[in-house]
Amino acid sequence: MAAAKRGTFFSGAGLVWQWQRLVWWIFAVCLIFGLFSTHEMTERASSLLDHSVAAQRLVNGFDASAFIMLQQVPDSPLEIQGHNIVHFSLLFLVFMLFVTGGILAAYVLDEKPTTTAFFEASGHYFWRFFRLLIYLAIVLLPIAGLAAATSAMYTHIEDQSISPYPGDHFVEAAAVVILLLLIIVRLWFDMAQIIAVAEDEKKMHRVLRRAFGLLRRNFFSLLWLYLRVSIIAWALFAFGLYFWMFRLSPQSNVAAFLLSQLMILVWLGARLWQRASESLWYRNYQANQVSEPAWTPPPAPMYMPAAAEPQP
Amino acid sequence: MTKTFVLAAALAIFCGPIFSQTTATSTAADAAKKPLSTRVVAYQIEAKLDPTKHTIAASETLTYKNLTGQPQQTFPFHLYLNAFQPQSTFMTEVRLAGTRGNGPDSEWDPKHFGSITVDRLEVEGAGDLTNKMEFIHPDDKNSEDRTVFQVTLPKPIAPGASVEFRIAFHDVLPKVVERTGYAHDFDMVGQWFPKVGVWWKNAWNCHQFHATTEFFADFGTFDVKITVPQNEIVGAGGDLVSSANNSDGTKTLTYHSEDVHDFSWTASPSFTVVEDSWTGSQGPVKIHLLMSPGHMRSAQRYLEAETGSLRLFDQWYGPYPYDRITMVDPPHGGGDAGGMEYPTLITLGTSAHMPQGVLAPEIVTEHEFGHQYWYGMVATNEFEEAWLDEGINSYTEVKVMDELYGKNTSAVNFPFAQMSETGLQQTGYFSDPAKDPIARFAWRFINSDSYADITYSKTATVLLTLEKVIGEDTLRQALHTYFMRYRFTHPTGEDFLKTIEEVSGKDLRWYFNQAIYGTQVLDYSLADAHSDPLKWWDTSAHPSKKNEKGEVYRTYITVVRKGDFVFPVDVDIKFDDGSTAVEHWDGQDRWVRYQYDRKAKIQSAQIDAHNQITLDRHPFNNSFTEESDPRAAHKLRTIWVFASEWLSQLLAWLT
Repeated sequence: MAAAKRGTFFSGAGLVWQWQRLVWWIFAVCLIFGLFSTHEMTERASSLLDHSVAAQRLVNGFDASAFIMLQQVPDSPLEIQGHNIVHFSLLFLVFMLFVTGGILAAYVLDEKPTTTAFFEASGHYFWRFFRLLIYLAIVLLPIAGLAAATSAMYTHIEDQSISPYPGDHFVEAAAVVILLLLIIVRLWFDMAQIIAVAEDEKKMHRVLRRAFGLLRRNFFSLLWLYLRVSIIAWALFAFGLYFWMFRLSPQSNVAAFLLSQLMILVWLGARLWQRASESLWYRNYQANQVSEPAWTPPPAPMYMPAAAEPQP
Repeated sequence: MTKTFVLAAALAIFCGPIFSQTTATSTAADAAKKPLSTRVVAYQIEAKLDPTKHTIAASETLTYKNLTGQPQQTFPFHLYLNAFQPQSTFMTEVRLAGTRGNGPDSEWDPKHFGSITVDRLEVEGAGDLTNKMEFIHPDDKNSEDRTVFQVTLPKPIAPGASVEFRIAFHDVLPKVVERTGYAHDFDMVGQWFPKVGVWWKNAWNCHQFHATTEFFADFGTFDVKITVPQNEIVGAGGDLVSSANNSDGTKTLTYHSEDVHDFSWTASPSFTVVEDSWTGSQGPVKIHLLMSPGHMRSAQRYLEAETGSLRLFDQWYGPYPYDRITMVDPPHGGGDAGGMEYPTLITLGTSAHMPQGVLAPEIVTEHEFGHQYWYGMVATNEFEEAWLDEGINSYTEVKVMDELYGKNTSAVNFPFAQMSETGLQQTGYFSDPAKDPIARFAWRFINSDSYADITYSKTATVLLTLEKVIGEDTLRQALHTYFMRYRFTHPTGEDFLKTIEEVSGKDLRWYFNQAIYGTQVLDYSLADAHSDPLKWWDTSAHPSKKNEKGEVYRTYITVVRKGDFVFPVDVDIKFDDGSTAVEHWDGQDRWVRYQYDRKAKIQSAQIDAHNQITLDRHPFNNSFTEESDPRAAHKLRTIWVFASEWLSQLLAWLT
């Protein structure tokens, strides 16, 4: 059984830093999509608010009722916003599905992600990863079923319980389990993608089987590798949100924009950190497989040639 | 003001004797006291709760005094709990258009079914009339509805005479729905006994129970004995007269209440009792707060809102004449029992992790307490003119919450976002402003959302805008007069409107006809504001932009009435030399244009600069500033870009 080598966690961060152009690139695309998704809203809002005294209710603080009224007025700038955000987010999902091959090629194969190499790798693995996405959807179905069962169980407990909170406690516990399952599934598919790139494997069911075995044998080391980064990402995100909501002046538009983008950047960087750490872990694992075979036959016992029988 | 937190167990030991003493000493004084109301009914009820089955077995003696001025032979009664039967009018309407908290597609599990059954009905001197009971359907001819029955006596009751009904009945409480029922070990028992209709406008007024209606009843006295297991903690809308333990492990609590028109109660072994008191112009008021598990963090918030409301209502509208108020905090999972008013008992609502910046516990406390005035004492017909209790109460909610928690932060108060009570009411009204008038029977609104938006929010917004016409102080004085004049009676909408006109000394029909009886929407827009050189053709007069001093400009201001609600407005205009102008427009035409020739250009123009016309549904088109300020749009963009990117990141997790 191979264990994660000490330093994989930090080396992963180093790898992200080394190929940081990937982070910036993806972040830029994410930002552009975000700006596109809000372009129409911003245009409409500008025409409505830029010369309106009532707009000050959104500038000096954030008057929630003014915001709601903005949604209620005829031709509201916000009426199309929900759809636009969903559309561009789906577009970003497709984009990330496409570039994941290029990212992993850089991390797993340690190839410099030149533009040509990056897009070649992205195109090379795109359909494989698309098939993996379908497998992922299938795997997520039972988890969705578990979530539905949790909901039904909650209703049952609520009906039966004398005390008001057991249902909530059950849901909280179930949520932890479901979250853990989701993380495990993600980890499994992360490793499958890495194997697919590392070994240029075309059969996705085969890489899934191998990734599952790999995960099973190295469960805690891989889980901890993933979780550590997640915890850091969530903590930074929560801190950023707190600072934005509670510490930043309501009039600080520029600072709010920069902070919000920093939060997205950190989140994106953290996800790539997970990918890089997992890739390094796999490289180390493979190296260990070569240099330290799992089983080495013991040397054959050396026997002295049978001594001649003593002659009487 | 003192405040003591008492553990639930301690209540059973200490509170009974204390209340008994209080009541005993006050009884003598009460006897000499003149009744506050015309007491038409006297209910004596004995009820026994089975908290495991959530059923109540009860007997009721109703003495009805015929003050109708004519002989009465037929008497209608409400059986509200039968609304929670699958074929009732209530359920039919809920399936059609929803009700509070439940959409038309709501699952109605059989556990939400409840009922009340009259086992026997006797009338003194007439014997058993059970088989004379007849279900009637005055509103919709739904023969399956069993929320109203009538009984015809063998002979009429003469004017001024009394009749005594003895009714044995039993209730099956639903899992909590529409204010009533059980959740876990909590039982909220409201609208639970056969209640006689009201002789009003020379006829019996006894409507079926509908998805959006509430209640209407006559004033009188209630003597109620409640038997529950000894571990139950009980709260009720009356003074606790006595408490006695029974040999079978139960206890019987006796309550008395007078000059009220309803009686409700609650029981749970899990309540924690918090006591407080407040002294107003009519003496001390005991506050009994029953807190559910996990909610104690909200107790202090409830109490501060309650004492603040008591103080301001006493100061502004009139005295609170009762010596107690019971506040019930339903448990987690029993929220549908929350946010409801009964005479001297209100139900509240919070959650275990209610943020400090969301003033929901305060709002619900203030609102339900306000109903002690607008419903409890000024006992309007909630079936037919719901705006008189819910609407006026929503208006006073705005005034009280603004006073207690700040005008801009009276609904939500976070560093990053705020909401005023006025804004809360406006957004409620603006969500669907034009389908129903305020003056409409509660069950005839297009759906439950429109009922709520119009009855609560529009009425509040209409009264807030009325402040601009007659002044805030005058409207407060009008409400005071209305309360003092009509408390313990059943006034109508016209009584209310005429009181306002009388106090203000103004004919306000032009306003009421649109705002109360009509569906007109108010929207004024500053359609155009710009300045143009007067001698625009004379290039020598303004050779360059740098040499504009001394140039005379013609400024146009165009105001358009986009809605069909006619309301006079003021337009404030500022010029870039610091000069100003104020125009008053009666709003009768569709538009008006003002023109100025000055050595200054327009800087800004604004309709209703003091934001008093809260009915205006589009506040963003009311003004124009020459200087562009893109900060609001930029702020919105920042938020939405972030939301878009964040959703993108979450979806990308799938890849």
